[in-house]
Amino acid sequence: MTKPDTVVEFDRALIERARRGDSRAFERLYREHVGRLHGLCLRMTRNPDQAADCVQDAFIKAWKALPKFEERASFSTWLHRIAVNTVLEKRRGSVATAEMLVEDPTEYEEPVMVLDTPVEEEELEAAIQSLPQGARDALVLCGVYGYEHSEAASMLGIAVGTCKAQLHRARGLLKERLERGVR
Amino acid sequence: MNSRKVQRIDELARDLPPARDLWPGIAAAIEADNVTARAGVPAARRPRWLPAAGMAAAVALVALGVLIGQYTSKQSGIGVVDGGQSVAASAIIPATYRKQRDELLVAVKQKLAGMPPAERDKVAGSLATLQRSIQEIEAALGKDPANALLQELLVNSCQEEMRALTAVRDSGRQET
Repeated sequence: MTKPDTVVEFDRALIERARRGDSRAFERLYREHVGRLHGLCLRMTRNPDQAADCVQDAFIKAWKALPKFEERASFSTWLHRIAVNTVLEKRRGSVATAEMLVEDPTEYEEPVMVLDTPVEEEELEAAIQSLPQGARDALVLCGVYGYEHSEAASMLGIAVGTCKAQLHRARGLLKERLERGVR
Repeated sequence: MNSRKVQRIDELARDLPPARDLWPGIAAAIEADNVTARAGVPAARRPRWLPAAGMAAAVALVALGVLIGQYTSKQSGIGVVDGGQSVAASAIIPATYRKQRDELLVAVKQKLAGMPPAERDKVAGSLATLQRSIQEIEAALGKDPANALLQELLVNSCQEEMRALTAVRDSGRQET
């Protein structure tokens, strides 16, 4: 999750202005980051309305928490952490989502998933959407957005081993579903 | 989403922009936060200029009252169903909202005397931005009355406005 230095510097200048209460600077940060944040929320919630709601809440929380933002951190990662937290909070408000998983993290190390044959993007998105919640969360954060297991686990509030196990599970299910064709 | 072929998960598009612009709702919330911060910070942590700001905020409400008055007379007002664009908003926001807002405006009019114009302008600007955001949401709702997200956004924004107005009103009380 690295960005060119110029982009980072540009972000920092905007963050500094936003911290001083400049909402126009914050709007520019919104414009720059909203697509990625919405992609993340949409894949986690599978619902466009809920995703929009989470994105909106995440930016409002970010505005309020800007004074606590540490300049050494990545703004994008910080924002994603807030968004993931918002999605999890909303889930807690609706249904119980705990998933039990036997952990054996030693065998799950490779975060990038390569498919045997190319598939259409839509087909792959549909297969991801069909995954159980825990497996989907790990796959979206590690596989699509490139977070390390430790970062993803921290965002999701789970153990690193659980994150690895969920990703392993996601890979298996995804492969199986792509082979048989997801409706 | 398009239909290009991919072989790796990380080739999927990371950016998936929302179908509509979410900024107006965010702007409404942060403007309300700004107003609350200016007017509602506890006295012990309040900067020296804030007492003046609190009083100035009350003056801003008069300006806002005029703005709201003009707007509601043009649009038939929240809570008054009069056809066209405002029907959806009128169905969502109860008449009690307008009544409470009017009462708030009356309460702050009593605190107007001797307020510094600089602080008045700051708070008035924030409140006016908040009001504009509500108008934008209402306009969008006029085009898409059944949109549940817009309905919720309108309610939330009106609540934020009430919170901001209340904070401004109460800021004067904290000074005494």
